Amino acid sequence: MILAWLLIIPLLGGLLAWPADRIAPMLPRAISLATLLLELALILPLVHGSGTAILSTPSPIQSGHWLATFDARWIPTFGIGIRLDLDGLSWLLIVLTILIGLFAVIVSWREIDHGTGFFHANLLWSLAGSIGVFLALDLFLFFFFWEVMLVPMYFIIAIWGHEHRRRAAIKFFLFTQGSGLLMLLSILALAFRHQQQTGVLTFDYVALLASQPTGRLGMLIMLGFFIAFLVKLPSFPVHSWLPDTHTQAPTAGSVILASILLKTAGYGLMRFAVPLFVTVAHHIAPLAMALGTISIFYGAILAYGQSDLKKLVAYSSIGHMGFVLIGIYSFNAIAWQGAVILMIAHGVSTGALFITVGSIQHRLHTRDLTRMGGLWTDLPRLSSFGTFFVIASMGLPGLANFVGEFLILRGVYAASPAIAVLAAIGLIPAALYSLIAIQRAFHGGASAARHTHDLSARETALMLALGTAVIWLGVDPQPVLKIAAPSIAALLPITHAAAIPATRRGT
Amino acid sequence: MITPMQAAAPLVVLGLTVTAMLTALAIRRSFATTTIIAATGLFLAAAGIPWALAARASPSPSLFNLTPDALGFAGLILLAGLATLTFATLYLTRDLALPREEYPLLLVLATLGAVTMATSAGFITLFLGLETMTIAMIGMIAYPRDRPEAEEAALKYLVLSGMSSALVLFGIGLAALATGHLTYAPLLAAGPNPIVLTALALIGAGAGFKLSVVPFHLWVPDIYAGAPAPSAAYVAVIPKIAVIAVILHLLAMPGSAVSPLLASAVAVVAILSMLVGNLLALMQENLKRVLGYSSIAHLGYLLVALLAAGSIGRAGVIFYLVTYTITVIGAFGVIGVLSRAGSARDADRIDDLHGLFWHRPLLATVMTLILLSLAGIPPAIGFMAKLYIMAAGVSADLRVLTATLVLSSVIGLFYYLRIIMVMALKPADRTEPATGTLAIPLGGWLTMASLGALILGFGIAPQSLMSLLHAVFK
Repeated sequence: MILAWLLIIPLLGGLLAWPADRIAPMLPRAISLATLLLELALILPLVHGSGTAILSTPSPIQSGHWLATFDARWIPTFGIGIRLDLDGLSWLLIVLTILIGLFAVIVSWREIDHGTGFFHANLLWSLAGSIGVFLALDLFLFFFFWEVMLVPMYFIIAIWGHEHRRRAAIKFFLFTQGSGLLMLLSILALAFRHQQQTGVLTFDYVALLASQPTGRLGMLIMLGFFIAFLVKLPSFPVHSWLPDTHTQAPTAGSVILASILLKTAGYGLMRFAVPLFVTVAHHIAPLAMALGTISIFYGAILAYGQSDLKKLVAYSSIGHMGFVLIGIYSFNAIAWQGAVILMIAHGVSTGALFITVGSIQHRLHTRDLTRMGGLWTDLPRLSSFGTFFVIASMGLPGLANFVGEFLILRGVYAASPAIAVLAAIGLIPAALYSLIAIQRAFHGGASAARHTHDLSARETALMLALGTAVIWLGVDPQPVLKIAAPSIAALLPITHAAAIPATRRGT
Repeated sequence: MITPMQAAAPLVVLGLTVTAMLTALAIRRSFATTTIIAATGLFLAAAGIPWALAARASPSPSLFNLTPDALGFAGLILLAGLATLTFATLYLTRDLALPREEYPLLLVLATLGAVTMATSAGFITLFLGLETMTIAMIGMIAYPRDRPEAEEAALKYLVLSGMSSALVLFGIGLAALATGHLTYAPLLAAGPNPIVLTALALIGAGAGFKLSVVPFHLWVPDIYAGAPAPSAAYVAVIPKIAVIAVILHLLAMPGSAVSPLLASAVAVVAILSMLVGNLLALMQENLKRVLGYSSIAHLGYLLVALLAAGSIGRAGVIFYLVTYTITVIGAFGVIGVLSRAGSARDADRIDDLHGLFWHRPLLATVMTLILLSLAGIPPAIGFMAKLYIMAAGVSADLRVLTATLVLSSVIGLFYYLRIIMVMALKPADRTEPATGTLAIPLGGWLTMASLGALILGFGIAPQSLMSLLHAVFK
């Protein structure tokens, strides 16, 4: 039942927050904070007590060892149920979702000054949608949440975004909804194929795991999932919605997009696209790895060419997600560990970078790198935090992203050394754009005198918290790895490890 | 004695209602009285459906087909008529320079026609119902006669629907010539000789006109845009339910195997309707025109489920029709509650909804739900309806049709999102609310809120609706 509450609380919180701004503009913010803190209090204890035992004994998905579970009927006509299950991987990503949600609320404390009630309602609803995505183990329910989280996000971009927000919001919605419909077709095809084989129409994940379609049909069904996740990840060549959307979204929107919504794609690949189609997934691995490698270089090179700081951060996300993609399709447990860590690390460090850009824009009213320069003299605290997070995102050893990238490269090397070497070379352009960004934004002389204030206590505390998380994950990632390990063992198709060398052919 | 008439209860009640309204009008012209009689009549007819369902036999099997299916569609028509009547009552305000009393009468008359059509067992009843409905609807379209565009729309509808009725009549004549009967079964049983095929094509063209599918769609945008909002809602919904009821009845008859030629012809119509409807809707500035083109696309989706046949396809058609009814009446209802028959035009430009979110958040939320439902996005009911259609398409392996469905839905997102966007624009961009300061009466709020609740409620928990439909349409 706890899992149902995890969804109901933010939905109710949103309903409360919406009309609350008629009483006081502050009230919706307080309601959001309280809602998210309550969520945190619900989910944190689940890995302790009986949870530790479950996490220490890896067991296959079918055995039903979950940290928490919820099952109810929904649409029996189609064999659709409300099946929610929590394992270590979901737990990590939900905790990330809630924490990032908290940061998003704090960031928009001053930035959002009209329609605060509706804004916070949308924020909480999109978080509820993502939590649902991470929990749902009924394919239709998963798709339902996948779509539901888009609508509030669309409003956040369309109403509170920057100058070209309408175009960006529509582009975001069309890309994700269009690819989502492909996934719905695949889900339906999978369920009906299962019905033909067994006579039972069900969308239950565990039941469908046994289906494992192969051949041309299996490939088509898998592609529906794969494309939908590639778009959301995003990977080259279906990334073009991301830079626009990120640039135009308000800070909280960019943070939620980068730190949470992109993670639903990585999670989807790990939870659905690979385990449901083990054989076909191996066939597509060379393509996936190639796309991942291209994304790494493409993201880095385009980031280098940007003069809009927010766009630079957005393109850097494409590169990071390229690492996640090659990690997942190396079918190697270490690489999967790395992908999980990198997803969390990217969530924290890129989230922090968007907050930095947001703070700069709030003060200078520009995101243009050519009009920055010399920020360190005017805003020393902001600039030092900014530098720290750029370096973290670049993958400096000792910080969170490094752990993820290192583990991915280590795991990918076992499967495909060529890809690992290429991806490692991709770190060089990443260092280039990072250092250039630091130089152009923070160093040098100011083009004009600025009269502005440095980070407030609220912002400093926020940055400190994010910075601590980045360092902690970088120095001691073991607890996270431990929580993720049983899920990875259950999801990763170990039995087909023999098939891995086959993927070398394509590289 | 009463048993044979039991199944025909809705028809009898509607007939009595029309008589009662005419009598009441002859005694004293009163809008309140006629409206109350109309609403009571529609309500009683709808409430009589469960009772009629319990009946064993039809009083006149050669004229009326009073099976549970047909009665179920009759119930949908009656409820849709009741909802439209509610909006019409709010729309025809007291200060109107025209007599208002005839509108409810026309509405009940058209509903009688539609119910007759849906429960017809042969061509005579079909044609009687069709004409009763069409002629009454022409009056409803032309009702605010001081608006030139309403008159123009009515004239267009008169000419074009007269044309399509003539085609249907010619088709019926040919059918009678070929089979010697005026019931459906002999025509379906007759072999594919040229006369039968011509008859089917002519009747099919008439059905296509009423369903507003490509290539019989050209009248739709003009007439939706010209008609007053409640009439547009009526024209957009009721005839389609009636025609689909007849088609499903025909398909369920023994020996009514759809020939591959016919199936591919319908498939082409479906694909064209989905694409043309959605593409043309992109360029519209008028909300009613958008809804018109969108309804063309929606009927295209519905044809996909119709072609899928099988139990999922059939259930899909019915579920989609219910969804379409709720959503489209809601959409015209939003225009209706923001407009009055006395003003020069309806609030039907997309720009009229500018900033609605900030002036009237409740109405804007309902409109957003309606648009999400039309676009097929959760948590609105339209998503479940699209699930049904896609499930039908995938299970019947209709790949081209399903792919077109997905493609055209994505195209459709553009214009639905654009309307939502306009509603979300900041009010500061403009000095006064575009929708004016018109007060919306309590009845309007209640109807809109309950439509919104239906769209959201069935969107989140569709099982109750599915079970209800399954119980009626076995």
